[in-house]
Amino acid sequence: MSDTRIIKKRYIFMTVVFVGLALLLVILPKKHASNELKPEQLLQEINDNTRYLSTDEVADKIIKADRYFRLIDVRTPNDYKEFHLKGAINIPLDSLLNKDESGNYINADILNQDLYINVLYSNGTVYANQAWIILRRLNYKNNYVMKGGLNRWIETVIRPVRPPQTASRKEFDIYKFRKAASMYFGGGTVAVPAAEDNAPVPVIKKKASGNEEEGGC
Amino acid sequence: MGPLFNAGEPWGLVTALVIGIAFGYILESAGFSSSRKLAGIFYGYDFVVLQVFFTAAITAALGLVFFDYFGWLDLSAIWVNRFYVGSTIVGGAIMGLGFIIGGFCPGTSACAAAIGKIDAMLFLGGFIIGVIIFDAFYPLYEGFYKADNLGPVKIYESLGMDREVFLLIFVVFAIFAFWATAVIQKKVSEKSNKY
Amino acid sequence: MEEVKIQNPPKKYMNPYLAGVLLGIVIILSFYFTREGLGASGAFKRGVAKVEQIIIPSHVESEKSAFYHYVKNGKDPLDNRLVYMIIGVFIGGFLSGAINNRLKLKLEHSPKITSKKRAIAAVIGGALFGIGSAFGRGCTSGAGLDGMAVLATSGFVVVAMIFGAGYIFAWFFRKLWI
Repeated sequence: MSDTRIIKKRYIFMTVVFVGLALLLVILPKKHASNELKPEQLLQEINDNTRYLSTDEVADKIIKADRYFRLIDVRTPNDYKEFHLKGAINIPLDSLLNKDESGNYINADILNQDLYINVLYSNGTVYANQAWIILRRLNYKNNYVMKGGLNRWIETVIRPVRPPQTASRKEFDIYKFRKAASMYFGGGTVAVPAAEDNAPVPVIKKKASGNEEEGGC
Repeated sequence: MGPLFNAGEPWGLVTALVIGIAFGYILESAGFSSSRKLAGIFYGYDFVVLQVFFTAAITAALGLVFFDYFGWLDLSAIWVNRFYVGSTIVGGAIMGLGFIIGGFCPGTSACAAAIGKIDAMLFLGGFIIGVIIFDAFYPLYEGFYKADNLGPVKIYESLGMDREVFLLIFVVFAIFAFWATAVIQKKVSEKSNKY
Repeated sequence: MEEVKIQNPPKKYMNPYLAGVLLGIVIILSFYFTREGLGASGAFKRGVAKVEQIIIPSHVESEKSAFYHYVKNGKDPLDNRLVYMIIGVFIGGFLSGAINNRLKLKLEHSPKITSKKRAIAAVIGGALFGIGSAFGRGCTSGAGLDGMAVLATSGFVVVAMIFGAGYIFAWFFRKLWI
């Protein structure tokens, strides 16, 4: 009888310790750890291509007037004045980290939030990618990159090329969508932006590590 | 600040061996080398699996967060399994079926085989057959296997909760489960004693 | 002397909560020292990959194999911490069995079924577990326990599915156990 009582006492002790420790964590002030992303994690995120949206996806969002979708033009104000996508906000790459008098990033309101999906674009992919990497380093979320930039936008959405007769049905569907999008955006009338960073995006080799793909077990 | 070694380094391999010995020793000592004891959780006569499993989980989860709090371990640097929605769900269900038929899981079968349980050795043989089958037909379901990768998401992020609050709920839930299973186990054993 | 020893009855199992706390500490140490947690199934997958590398290298060294990344660039699939860990598990299990007088060659089964039936069930269950742990990217320890320890969503989902499916199918296979 007393044996079971001792065991019971032990279990009550165990319960108190566990719940106490968990409560302690809730009560303890949060450690204000540096928010910056670790280089290792940044590399990993650079390697997986989830940040990209295709020009077709962007066109679709604009046409559907998605309220929570926002375009960020990272080119110079001059380029922006010449041509930009409908509704885009201009945040030039070199002013990305500008601060106000009290030392806060002035663009943080736009770029560090969780309501909108921000899509960064430049003429090609390189500058938008650079901006994205800086934003990720600051651990800002919900920022994406339009793959191929305005150059691909022109190629695919504004002046889509008819696929050959032998192409699959899917390709024709894409073409049809693009044709309609082209009408929507007033195809053909825009000036082609000067190719600034049209060079192919360097492919970063995936970390050659079996561990990464396999994990714990 | 931890983690001290990368898993591939020689010292990482040595620690893995030592940790494996501790792992195997604890599993065997807790009775995980007996398939009938393990299967008890599904029929209410023995909940040792749940008790050990969840105690280990809350201990480790609490400990890791405390290690993070004191700055001993960088939680963003440790490995977190990726969540591939479909593959994880289907994989878990197949494992559940395998558990109820075979009575072991790989870790427990290894330490059961080490003390001479023939059924555990057969289970391991079957396990290897299963792995070969998976590999042989891999192209058929490669797409499914790699689909919907949500990355290393954390449960409190998925639920939109504070990490600490989730942990508290998890601990309370686990202790409630311990209490409930103790009651069930008592009832089931009383019932089977009658016959 | 020797005979007396054999006749010693097996000792009682450890208190499950004590075992759980110790296991939790081992998991913490594993993450602290090696960046990763526990694991069992990975070693067997790597073993299979190794044999395939010797027998049918054309298969495993192509994209058609699930284990391509184990052998890519001439890597040795066995050169991995999980292999060392499973060796440790065997040693640790044996040590505990020796200390607690539980070393005995036997096929454990419910008195209501034959040894043969239990043997077949063990092989089938093992095969299912092999397939399942490949899809789940880890087994009960590597995906479930580690996952819950680091509060990963995948860990909680795997555990819920393993035990959920176990309870659903338990009724159909009750004759195997009770």
